[in-house]
Amino acid sequence: MIKHYLILFLRNIKKDKSTFLINLLGLSTGLACVLLIYLWVNEELVMDKFHKNHDRIYQVIEHLDFSDGIQTYLETSGPMAEFLAEEMPEVEYATSTIPPEWFGEHLLSVGNNTLKAVGQLVSKDYFKIFSYELIRGDKTEAMTDPNSIVLSRKLANSLFGSIENVIGKLVEFEQNRQFRVSGIFENVPSHSTVQFDFALSTEASKEIPPWTSLQTWNSSGPKVYILVKEGANIPNLTTKIEKVRKNRDENTIRTATLAPFAQLYLHGKYENGKLTGGRIQYVKLFSVIAMIILIIACINFMNLSTARASQRLQEIGVKKAIGAQRNSFIFQFINESVLMAFVALILATVLVWLFLPRFNTIVDKQLTLTLDMPFYITATSIVILTGILAGIYPALYLSKFNALTILREKIRSTSSESWTRKGLVVIQFSLSILFIISVVVVYKQIEFIQNQNMGYEQDQIVKVNIEGTLKDRLQTFISEAKKLPGIENASSTTHTMVGQNWSGTLDWEGKDPKNNTQFQIFGVDYGYIETMGMEIIAGHGFSREFGADSAGIIFNETAIRTMGIEDPIGKTVENGRAKIIGIVKDFHFKSLHDNAEPIFMVLMPEAVKYVMVRIEAGKERDALEALRTFYEDFNPDYPFEFEFLNENFQAQYASEQRVATLSRYFAGLAILISCLGLFGLAAHTARQRTKEIGIRKVLGASVGNVVALLSKDFIRLVLIAIVIATPIAWYAMNRWLQGFAYRIDLQWWILAAAGLVAVVIAMITVSGQSLRAAMADPVKSLRTE
Amino acid sequence: MIRLRNIDKYVDKKFQRTFILKNIDLDISEGEFITIMGPSGAGKSTLLNILGFLDEPSEGEHYFLNEPVHQLSEKKKSQYHRSHIGFVFQAYHLLDELTVYENIEMPLLYRKVKTKERKAMVADMLDRFNMVAKKDLFPSQLSGGQQQVVGVARAIIGGPRLLLADEPTGNLHSEQSQQIMELFKRLNENDGVTIIQVTHSDEMASYSNRIINLRDGTIVRKNPYRLIQ
Ligand SMILES: Nc1ncnc2c1ncn2[C@@H]1O[C@H](COP(=O)(O)OP(=O)(O)O)[C@@H](O)[C@H]1O
Ligand SMILES: [Mg+2]
Repeated sequence: MIKHYLILFLRNIKKDKSTFLINLLGLSTGLACVLLIYLWVNEELVMDKFHKNHDRIYQVIEHLDFSDGIQTYLETSGPMAEFLAEEMPEVEYATSTIPPEWFGEHLLSVGNNTLKAVGQLVSKDYFKIFSYELIRGDKTEAMTDPNSIVLSRKLANSLFGSIENVIGKLVEFEQNRQFRVSGIFENVPSHSTVQFDFALSTEASKEIPPWTSLQTWNSSGPKVYILVKEGANIPNLTTKIEKVRKNRDENTIRTATLAPFAQLYLHGKYENGKLTGGRIQYVKLFSVIAMIILIIACINFMNLSTARASQRLQEIGVKKAIGAQRNSFIFQFINESVLMAFVALILATVLVWLFLPRFNTIVDKQLTLTLDMPFYITATSIVILTGILAGIYPALYLSKFNALTILREKIRSTSSESWTRKGLVVIQFSLSILFIISVVVVYKQIEFIQNQNMGYEQDQIVKVNIEGTLKDRLQTFISEAKKLPGIENASSTTHTMVGQNWSGTLDWEGKDPKNNTQFQIFGVDYGYIETMGMEIIAGHGFSREFGADSAGIIFNETAIRTMGIEDPIGKTVENGRAKIIGIVKDFHFKSLHDNAEPIFMVLMPEAVKYVMVRIEAGKERDALEALRTFYEDFNPDYPFEFEFLNENFQAQYASEQRVATLSRYFAGLAILISCLGLFGLAAHTARQRTKEIGIRKVLGASVGNVVALLSKDFIRLVLIAIVIATPIAWYAMNRWLQGFAYRIDLQWWILAAAGLVAVVIAMITVSGQSLRAAMADPVKSLRTE
Repeated sequence: MIRLRNIDKYVDKKFQRTFILKNIDLDISEGEFITIMGPSGAGKSTLLNILGFLDEPSEGEHYFLNEPVHQLSEKKKSQYHRSHIGFVFQAYHLLDELTVYENIEMPLLYRKVKTKERKAMVADMLDRFNMVAKKDLFPSQLSGGQQQVVGVARAIIGGPRLLLADEPTGNLHSEQSQQIMELFKRLNENDGVTIIQVTHSDEMASYSNRIINLRDGTIVRKNPYRLIQ
């Protein structure tokens, strides 16, 4: 019987190759999208789940209750870990870490072999909580001595050339301190959110500035993780931890709480103290998009199958007369669509294999296509589901006919069936138009962000870390660097110019005692404002010419507005300790998702971390070469590394860029597959109406008349789709744009243009077929009847 | 074998009832070879379809092998189609995508006959109808007469006790028609298959042993055996 079905499946394909090709192309692209997204989602979902105890590991996070809403920090205070370990019986281990993104890269040397590696500071039970397995050394002992260092297999190999006999050897840190290797851990897997190659003890941090100040309750510094005991009552523990901070300080704005560590990667976005999502939103979004593309392809299958029903009706009629029951047809047709999906899967796998490298660059992952059991199982289930989805409607529709009506040969496509078909075409195009509009809006918004006036000359400034000799002789470095060709100015700062940095509160005259506005703090050196190209709108910047500037303070416009100080220049804040010497126009240092924040700048030459160098436009290459030569001479132990501020800034929109790129592909595919379906339907209609066209032409209709006649219906469907899709797109894109403090207006022309694109593409698709039908010799078509 | 009592078939359209069949009483015994005749539109096909369970009467009682057909479920009817009733169509209705062999084999698939047995039965059928050489051809490669032979083979391979044929020779030359009729006659006489056919041709009717005349949906009782001496 199966063989019989198979024969019919294959011979029907042979009979109608174009339908087969349309279905094959549509379904395989749809399946390829689903498979790619599956690989990606799979990788997202396993993030941090490799820790054996991942469901017992929690991170202590803090909600800070500011005047303008609650902000959530993933850091907490220094003593928290030790406190929890000692006071909470539910807590098995607790560890305090200065994470890699904070601790950063450092120089490590063994003899003459010096290299840079990313590390973190961890306290003693770190390796007992997390499954970074020690392949040498003992996890209980590894972090007990403040002079210990633990290396990754990779780093140990690079430093010592081997992992054997490394324990106990010395590694020089930043060329000024020796650490003894106490363990080697297996390289950190790519699905770990924490990526590091060495770990030092937090005990050591007391002597490594600027981490010296983290041991007080009044700060947010380390990330603290706990391993709770099996069966611990988490809500109870959370309540107890929430009280910890309050008990120490009645007036604190901080509430510590627990977040499941392995879930933070996907569920890490807090708004006003409430968990509102995170990357899971992208996971969901792309899963839905991939599903939609597959559905669009399935609709093609449904439409073409039912449109061509007449080709199968005879079979159904005869078989029913022979005694076949309805179920057997449903089974047969679903079988066929599953088979079709399976053939498409083979092509889809090839497509995935071809496009995986490109996809990897877009999503910034190293996904691989491994044809293993889980893949087969998933692929098979997807194929079966797709087959059922695509086949169920045609199966029900076709099997419904009774033998009598078929064998009497009085079948015309019933009106309800063509309504369904029209409805499905409208759905396809609505989705396609939705995609097109989204792509245009996302593209415009990103372009808008990129062209925003940042309030400083982002494109011309490079940032260089202050390390090694630069630390000791910064002023010399800066004044010498300024003399290099193509370098216009240079200064230094504590602020990366990207995102959050130090923040704090401030007192001013007339301040509401309940006001706890957080100001971003920019510790800077002389000439900073000029170097950055920021605009002073009142007063002046820090300058040696004005003498007493060490007590001076500069605010941005937002800060002045927030404080409500009239005529600010010359007035003082912090009880007279700081005098306002200037106001700088608002500039952007966080992503444009956020509104301008109040900031102040103070002179802090001793704390600066970055040199900002302004380069003359057009002379980038020469200037950087000169700077490199100078740097390597000045600071020979460190490689010359720099970052353009604009690149750094754009990195904040990585996920938006990703959405933009992916949705461009998806939109293209959606419209392509929809048009394939339309093409198939148009061809079918043209064929069905051959005789009518012949008669019309004999009666004097022009080619144009006929094309219009045939295209009219399809174009009408696309127009209906525009009417449906536009308001949905309008609503959805407005919601997306709400996430940006600086955003474009959703202009009507974007929507109109998207609609027009859809109409034009549909028109081209349909009119080709119509034209062919219209140009055919009418006499011939009439004779064949 | 078959008993029809007061069978009516009508369609209601715009407050008006049109009768296609009216007050049909008919008894058919096992082993008969019957021809239904009548002008176009008389209701012959409708009657045949009712006899073959493809259509349902609007009123009346229909017994097949003493089973009340008007009370049978769809499933039960399908079972009868599989095991007791075969159809031959004027337009042959062979499946274009299947070869002669596969077309003949098809009913056996739905009767869940085992592969080996199936092969033997199809081979036997091909042999009987002299189609062995043509078994791998597709219907489009056969003449009309040959196609109808395949149609008959397909109808009887399941061993039906009742064979229904609606104008089986309507599209054939007289020579091909005679061939089909010879086939029917042999089936009727040698295998005891009850045959009911519809035809317009007196010649084809002469192969049967009873003629039912239908006019405007009713059976004309006068001289039903006119053609049979
Ligand atoms: N489902 C139906 N609805 C309306 N009229 C029908 C239907 N089926 C058959 N008829 C009509 O009933 C009459 C008898 O049809 P049919 O049995 O095909 O006659 P015959 O086979 O004798 O030519 C015809 O006039 C036909 O138009
Ligand atoms: Mg008829």
